[in-house]
Amino acid sequence: MHVLSQTGDAPTTETQRRATTGETTKLGRAIVVTSGKGGVGKTTTTANLGTALAQRGARVALIDADIGLRNLDIVLGLENRVHYHLLDVLEESATLDDALVPDKHSEGLFLLAAAQAREKDEVDTDKMRALVASLRERFDYVIIDSPAGIEKGFKNAVAGAHEAIVVCTPEVSAVRDVDRVVGLLGNRFRPQLVINRVRPQMVKKGAMMSVEDVEAFLRLPLLGVIADEPQIIVTANRGEPIALRHEGQTANAYHAIAARVAGEDVPAPRVEFKKATLFERIFRGAKA
Amino acid sequence: MGKTTTTVNLGAALAKAGKRVILIDADIGLRNLDLVLGLEKRIVFDLVEVAEGRCQLRQALIRDKRFPSLSLLPASQTRDKDSVSEEQFASLVDQAAQASDYVLVDSPAGIEGGFRNAIAGATEAIVVTTPEVSAIRDADRIVGKLSDKALPIRLIVNRLRPEMVHTGDMLSVEDVCEVLAIELLGVIPDDEEIIDTTNRGEPIVLDETKRLGAIYNKIVRRLEGEIVPFTSFGNGYRQGLFGRIFAGLKAG
Repeated sequence: MHVLSQTGDAPTTETQRRATTGETTKLGRAIVVTSGKGGVGKTTTTANLGTALAQRGARVALIDADIGLRNLDIVLGLENRVHYHLLDVLEESATLDDALVPDKHSEGLFLLAAAQAREKDEVDTDKMRALVASLRERFDYVIIDSPAGIEKGFKNAVAGAHEAIVVCTPEVSAVRDVDRVVGLLGNRFRPQLVINRVRPQMVKKGAMMSVEDVEAFLRLPLLGVIADEPQIIVTANRGEPIALRHEGQTANAYHAIAARVAGEDVPAPRVEFKKATLFERIFRGAKA
Repeated sequence: MGKTTTTVNLGAALAKAGKRVILIDADIGLRNLDLVLGLEKRIVFDLVEVAEGRCQLRQALIRDKRFPSLSLLPASQTRDKDSVSEEQFASLVDQAAQASDYVLVDSPAGIEGGFRNAIAGATEAIVVTTPEVSAIRDADRIVGKLSDKALPIRLIVNRLRPEMVHTGDMLSVEDVCEVLAIELLGVIPDDEEIIDTTNRGEPIVLDETKRLGAIYNKIVRRLEGEIVPFTSFGNGYRQGLFGRIFAGLKAG
């Protein structure tokens, strides 16, 4: 348990409220969102999970760890509000309070943006770990959006985290990459799986791996399944995460995923599909 | 974004056109090119072993039985990207270039060591992006990195959904080209068939009836220097929804 001090905690209203009520709080949870493969939906998942958790009243800090290729600010619609970034904080040229950008739409949600013109090698892993630790004192959730790959950027993104969400699409290459990432993470992250971009019609035709196929290969606890729908692209382009909505399959799925992350006993959201059998060859190959 | 799928299908289409092609999977630790080609069970040696001099390039190359002039140099799955230096990578690409007409290097995502290795021996670059704001910003950064190396760059816009462009929900090819200001090499519409064929390890160009096959064949003719007109997928809306983003991207 950690008792919040009154000094230097943002935002002050919440800190003051907790301090004046004598409320104590435990450290927040640090969750890295990762995948190995690029373009599978890590950033979309981070933005929507963060939004859905904040809509539930949680205090959430999102960290864009993709230094040099930042995107979380765009997906949240905050690109014009970023003044300082992660490296400024790590190098102590800005304070956390200066750098945390409050979200436009969801109270309690903050973004720590990545630097666009810097390199991932410039991050000091120990400082990154310390930064996540200090954010855990101030937020219920610290969600770190990992870059693609398994190089330094991935290692830094993982450094301060204690849990992992792995994002996978129903493609053999994405499944193989997730399997490798789970191997690299080791046991302590208890990775949970989001299966993204599922096209139920294709699964029905046997032209896409089914959720069961992916689950059977990866053997990870399933957080939820997200359908591939044009609205995801539209909302990401607009900077308004789909989880801001309160109806629709995908919005509901993100709210259910957030509830599961928060520890509520709700079923993992799924999309309509039918079992396909086309991928036995691939599975045999991938398992061998 | 579809780098691996693009590499496989361009390689296969080039080989079908009679070119000798070597595909190099530069994604050490997260290899996929072998899977997408359906050659995963035939790997004996990999790129790292060639770079370390533990085998000859020709011993590591896997010939694709469907396209006799197409071979793959697979990545290692269990090593790190920094186990090969840029110099080693460049000399490997040089070696492959001496034995072929085209060497296609499939770069890993990102701009770290794996990317630097992948471009080390290349003499030209193809940037693959989807028409999404976040992907275009990444592509813009990559174009900057490639320009520093003075590599000629051409663009493939992947996963275009013409109906979304039409309704103003997706940036058009013209928009993407205007932001990135590089030469357009091809436009590939979003097609469910590509997911299926990719998962089955069969390049889509194998099937003459698939429309994407024809599109890859056109890109190959452009690579060969022919002037081939582009299929039109409609113009987008510069106003409204994308006004903010478009202005922001052009400014940035």
